[in-house]
Amino acid sequence: MGRSAQRPPNLAPMIAVVVVRGGALPSGGDETVAECGGRAIVVGSGTALAVEALAGIATELTLLELEHFQPAAWAAALQPLVQHEPAVVMPGSPDGRDLAPRLASLLHRPLFAGAVTVTAHRVELARKGGTEIHIANPGPEFVATLQPGVRGVVPAASWPAVVVTHAEVPLRASGPAVDAAVLAVLPPDPATIDLAEAPRIVGGGAGLDRPERMEQLSRIGGHLGASMGATRVITDRGWVPHERQIGTTGVVVDPRLYVAFGVSGAVQHTSGLGNPDHIISVNTDGHCPMMQLADLAIVSDANATLDHLERLLADESLA
Amino acid sequence: MSIVVCLKWVSHPGEPHDSRFSGMSHADQSALEFALQQAESTGATVTAITVGPPGAEKVLRDALACGAHHAVRIEGPTTTSGTDVATAIADHITDARWVWCGDYSLDRGAGSVPAFIAAHLNAQQALGIIHASIEGDAVHATRRLDGGRRELLEVTAPAVVSVEGATARLRRATLAAVRAAASATIPVVSATTPMHRAEFMVRPYRPRARVLPAPEGATALERLRVLTDAAAASAARGDTVRLEPADAAARIVRALREWGYLAH
Amino acid sequence: MTAPDVDVVVVGGGPAGACAAMVAARAGLDVVLLERGPFPGSKNMYGGVVYPRILDTLIPEWWLEAPVQRWVTRRSTMLLTETQAVTIDFRTEAWGAPPYNGATAYRPDWDHWLAGHAQAAGAQLITDTTVIGLIRDEHGAVVGVRTDRPDGDLRARVVIACDGVNSFLAKEAGLYEHTDAKHYTLGVKETLALPKETIDERFAVRDRHGVDIEIIGATGSVNGGGFLYTNLDTIAVGVVLKLPKLAAQAQRPEAIIAKMKQHPAIAPLVQGGELKEYSAHLIPEAGLTMMPKMVMDGMLVAGDAAALCLAAGIWLEGVNFAMASGMYAGEAAAEAVRGGDVTANGLQGYQRRLSDTFVLKDHRKLHRAPELVLSDRVQHLYPGMVANVVERMFRVDNPEPKPGLRRIVTQERQRAGVRRRDLLRDGWTGFRSFG
Ligand SMILES: Cc1cc2nc3c(=O)[nH]c(=O)nc-3n(C[C@H](O)[C@H](O)[C@H](O)COP(=O)(O)OP(=O)(O)OC[C@H]3O[C@@H](n4cnc5c(N)ncnc54)[C@H](O)[C@@H]3O)c2cc1C
Ligand SMILES: Cc1cc2nc3c(=O)[nH]c(=O)nc-3n(C[C@H](O)[C@H](O)[C@H](O)COP(=O)(O)OP(=O)(O)OC[C@H]3O[C@@H](n4cnc5c(N)ncnc54)[C@H](O)[C@@H]3O)c2cc1C
Ligand SMILES: Nc1ncnc2c1ncn2[C@@H]1O[C@H](COP(=O)(O)O)[C@@H](O)[C@H]1O
Repeated sequence: MGRSAQRPPNLAPMIAVVVVRGGALPSGGDETVAECGGRAIVVGSGTALAVEALAGIATELTLLELEHFQPAAWAAALQPLVQHEPAVVMPGSPDGRDLAPRLASLLHRPLFAGAVTVTAHRVELARKGGTEIHIANPGPEFVATLQPGVRGVVPAASWPAVVVTHAEVPLRASGPAVDAAVLAVLPPDPATIDLAEAPRIVGGGAGLDRPERMEQLSRIGGHLGASMGATRVITDRGWVPHERQIGTTGVVVDPRLYVAFGVSGAVQHTSGLGNPDHIISVNTDGHCPMMQLADLAIVSDANATLDHLERLLADESLA
Repeated sequence: MSIVVCLKWVSHPGEPHDSRFSGMSHADQSALEFALQQAESTGATVTAITVGPPGAEKVLRDALACGAHHAVRIEGPTTTSGTDVATAIADHITDARWVWCGDYSLDRGAGSVPAFIAAHLNAQQALGIIHASIEGDAVHATRRLDGGRRELLEVTAPAVVSVEGATARLRRATLAAVRAAASATIPVVSATTPMHRAEFMVRPYRPRARVLPAPEGATALERLRVLTDAAAASAARGDTVRLEPADAAARIVRALREWGYLAH
Repeated sequence: MTAPDVDVVVVGGGPAGACAAMVAARAGLDVVLLERGPFPGSKNMYGGVVYPRILDTLIPEWWLEAPVQRWVTRRSTMLLTETQAVTIDFRTEAWGAPPYNGATAYRPDWDHWLAGHAQAAGAQLITDTTVIGLIRDEHGAVVGVRTDRPDGDLRARVVIACDGVNSFLAKEAGLYEHTDAKHYTLGVKETLALPKETIDERFAVRDRHGVDIEIIGATGSVNGGGFLYTNLDTIAVGVVLKLPKLAAQAQRPEAIIAKMKQHPAIAPLVQGGELKEYSAHLIPEAGLTMMPKMVMDGMLVAGDAAALCLAAGIWLEGVNFAMASGMYAGEAAAEAVRGGDVTANGLQGYQRRLSDTFVLKDHRKLHRAPELVLSDRVQHLYPGMVANVVERMFRVDNPEPKPGLRRIVTQERQRAGVRRRDLLRDGWTGFRSFG
C-alpha cells in the first residue's frame, strides 16, 4: 500500500498518475507531474527508469510495476492508491486517456478530460475543436487529464532528493477478461508516423495545382526525413485523408521544421502548428500570414518549385 | 439488442448551431459504418442511440436510412456531462454485445463517453482506433501509442470500440430508405437517472503561457530583454525573397543545409 | 409502365425549386424536392439583393419572418473612369417599411427559409442528392429522374427542373437550341466583414436600412459591371464579366475586383474589410435570346434553368423571377396532375402564366438592355464622356466664363470619339428599355 493513503492533509492536494512503457514517459507525463507539484504515481513497466526522467520535476513518487497495459485491471489496481487523493491528474496521452475514465468511474468521480490547466479549485478545458476554453470548479474530488504540450516544463537544476515508494498491488486475476488482448505492439512507421509526433513536416495547401502534388510532397518529405501534412482545403478536396490535416480540427503538430507550399496560414491551420524552430513558406502572395511567420519566405510558384526541389534533393543526404 | 452505435448530434465548430450545420461527426459516421458491417457479417441487428433534444433525431434518421434496424432517443439536453450521457446510454443497453462510438465528439471533445460506457457495462474497450477489422466474433483494432507506435488489440464482446473519423466511409443511403427514414417514428425514452446540464464559464481559446528555460543574460535587464524579445518583435520573422522556381528550390536546400537538416 | 412514386419531383432547392414545391404541395400533391447540397442554399451565391413582393400571396407578411439582412432604402448607379465618378443616388424611407421593396439577404438563409415553407406545406426535402439523369418513356416523355444514390430512381408524373444556370436537365431534354458562351456572364463576389456601425457610417444608413450600388466602368478592358451591397455586418463587392471578353483578355476576376476596390470612389467604402468569402457563378444573361422551351411532356423548367434571370446589363434580378416562375410551374403542375394530362399540352398553363405576368413581360421590355449596357460604347466611352461633361460643368475656371452645356457635350462627345448617330440610337434603346 502506498503511503499516499495516510498522507497528512497539509500536503499538496493533487497527484499525477503516469503510465510508462519500458520506462519511457508518455507525452505530457513530465508536465502532469509538474502540474501536481511533483507528486506522482508511476505505473507500468520500467518504473525505476522513469524516476531519472523525472529528476528536477518530481518530489514524491510511488512506483507500481505492472506488465501489460490493461485499462480496466489497472484502474482496479490503482483505486486503493488514489481513493484518498482528492485530485488525480493524468496526461492526455493514449494510455492516460484510456485509463482516466475507468479510474474515474471506479472512484465515482467526475472526469475533466482535455484540460489545459488543472488546480485543486479550477480546471480549464479546451473544447469545440480547441476554439473555446470551458472553466469549471471541479468540486472536492475529481479526475482530470492534461493535454500534452500545453504547459511546458523545465527541470530545476537544484532539487531535493525524490522520495520513492514502491507499491505492491496484485492485479485482479479471476473472472472474464475485461480488457482486450494485446496482440502486438508495432514500432513507428516513418511513412505513417503520426503527424503529431513528426519532427519535420512538409505541408501543402490550396496553392498546389493537382492531387499528384501531395505524392510528390511525400517523396520530397522522404528526402528530408519529413512527414507530409496538408490544410483543410486539401483534405476537403479529398487529395489526402483527414489524418493528414494540420490544425485545430485536424492534427495538432509540433515539428522543429515546417516547410509550407501554397499555404495561406489561416489561424485554424497555424494554431495547430506548434512552435517550429524553422519555417519555410513558398507562396505567390508575399503578404499572407504564413509568409509573415516564416524564417524564409519565398515568393514563387509552389508547383514549379516542388519540381525543381525534387530534382535537387535526389542528390542530398540527411544531416 | 446486440450491436449499438452511439451517435451524437453536433454542430460543426465555428458554424451557428442550427439544423443546417449539424449532424453526425465523421467519427460517428465511421462508427455507424463499422456497426453496419458487423451486423452484416454476424446477422445481428444495429440500434442507433443518441442522448439529446428532439433535433438530435436527425442523426438517428440518417442512421436508419443507412440501414440501422432500430433507433432510440434518450431525452436530454445537448450539454450534459460525459458521465451522465454514458450512464443514460449504458442503462438502456445492458444487454449490448458491441458498442461503437466516435473517438471524440466535436463539441465536448473529451472522448470519455465510450470508456465510461465500457466501465458501466464491465466491457472491454478499444478507444481512438485508427484501423479496425471484423474477424468473426472478434474485432482486431489498431490503437495509437506515443511516438508513432501502434498497439494491435483483439477485442471480444462485450466491448466498446471508439473509432477515428477517417477509419471508414459511411455508405450512401438508398433513396427509398432516406424517404422512409424521414417519416419513421423514433421511440423516445427518458434517462433512468436525472441528467445535469454541465455548467462552465466559456472564453475563447488562448494558449496557456508555457514554462520556458530561464533566459540567458548577465543582468536582470538583459534577461528581461531576451524574454520580451524586444529586438525581434518586428512584423515578419525572417526574409522575404522573390525568386524564380529553380532559384527558390536552391534557396530552400541552402537554408536546410545551414540549419542542419541536410548534410553539408 | 412502372407507376410513379410521387406526383411531382422538383429538382434543385433554390428559390425556384422551393416555390414550385411549396405551391404543388399546398395544392395537395405528393411532392419531393431534391437538392444536391447539404441544405438548400448551402452553396448558392448571388450578388445580394432580393425583391420578394411576389411572396405577398404565398407567405402573407413574409417580411415579419424572412431572414433579411437590410432593407434597401438607397440605390445608386455609379459611372467610373480611372479618376472620376458620377453617381446617381436615390433614397426613400418608403422602402424601409412594409411592404418594402428590396432587401439584402444571404442565400444560405433565404433558400433554407423558403424550402422550410415547402416542407411545412408537406413537400419532402431530400438533400445531399444529385440528379444525374432523366427517365423517359418510349415516347420521350419525362417520367422521373435518376439520382446519384443507390437505387436512386424516382418516378413522378411531373418533373420540375429548377437546377439553376446551365441546367443539365433542360439540356438533356433537348430544350435548349444552342448555348453560347456569349450568353453568359461570370459573377464573382467577395464578402468583406466590417462592424455594423462602420457600415452605417460609411453608407449613411441606420438600423436595418441598406444600400445597393451598381457600377459601370470599373471592370477595365473587360466589359461588365460592378456591384456593392450592404449586409448587416458584411459588404458584398463583386463584378459581373462578359465571358468571351474575359477569356480574350486573360484577366483574372479577382484582379479586376481588387482594382475596383482601389478606385478612389470605392476604396473608402471597403477599406479594412476582412475577406470572409470568395465565390463565382455563371449568370444566364441573354434573356429572351437564349430561353429554352420550358414545357414538354412530363417536365417544366423554371428559374435560371430556363434562363429567366433578368440581367438588364448590371441590374440583376434573378431570385424574384425564379420564385415567380417556380410558383407558376407548381400551379401548372397541380392543374395538369388534377386534370390527368401531364403532356406538354396539359402543362401549357405554365407558359400562359409566364407570358401574362412580369416574368416574360419584363424580359420583352428589357430585351435589348443587356446588349446596350455591356456594349463597348457604354462600357468604355460613355463613362469618361459623362464624367468630363459633369466635371466641366462644375469646374470654376475664372476668369473664364462658364461654357454652355450644349457646347461641352458636343466637345466631349467628339473627344470621346462617339458618333452623334450612335449616341442617339443608344439613347433611344435605353429609353425604350428602361423608360
Ligand atoms: C471551424 C474551422 C476549423 C478549421 N480547421 C482547419 C484545420 O484544422 N486545418 C486547416 O488547415 N484549416 C482549417 N480551417 C480552414 C482555414 O480557415 C483555411 O480555410 C485553410 O487553412 C486554408 O487552406 P489553404 O492555405 O490551403 O488555402 P488558401 O487560404 O486558399 O490559401 C492558398 C494559398 O496558396 C497561395 N497560392 C496560390 N497559388 C499558388 C502557387 N501557384 N504557388 C504558391 N502559392 C500559391 C495563395 O496565395 C494562398 O496563400 C478551418 C476553418 C474553420 C472555420
Ligand atoms: C454574381 C451574381 C449576382 C447576382 N445578383 C443577384 C441579385 O442581386 N439579385 C437577384 O435577384 N439575383 C441575382 N443573381 C441571380 C440569381 O442568383 C439567380 O437568378 C437565382 O439564384 C436563380 O434561382 P434558381 O432557383 O433558378 O437557381 P439556383 O439559385 O441556382 O438554384 C439551383 C439549385 O439547384 C441545385 N441543383 C443544381 N443541379 C442539381 C442537380 N443535378 N441535382 C440536385 N440539385 C441540383 C443547386 O444546388 C441549387 O440549390 C445573381 C447571380 C449571380 C451569379
Ligand atoms: N449525447 C450523446 N449521444 C450519443 N452518443 C454520444 C453522446 N455524446 C457522446 N457520444 C458518443 O461518444 C463519442 C465520444 O464523445 P465524447 O466523449 O463526448 O468526446 C461520440 O463520438 C459518440 O459516439
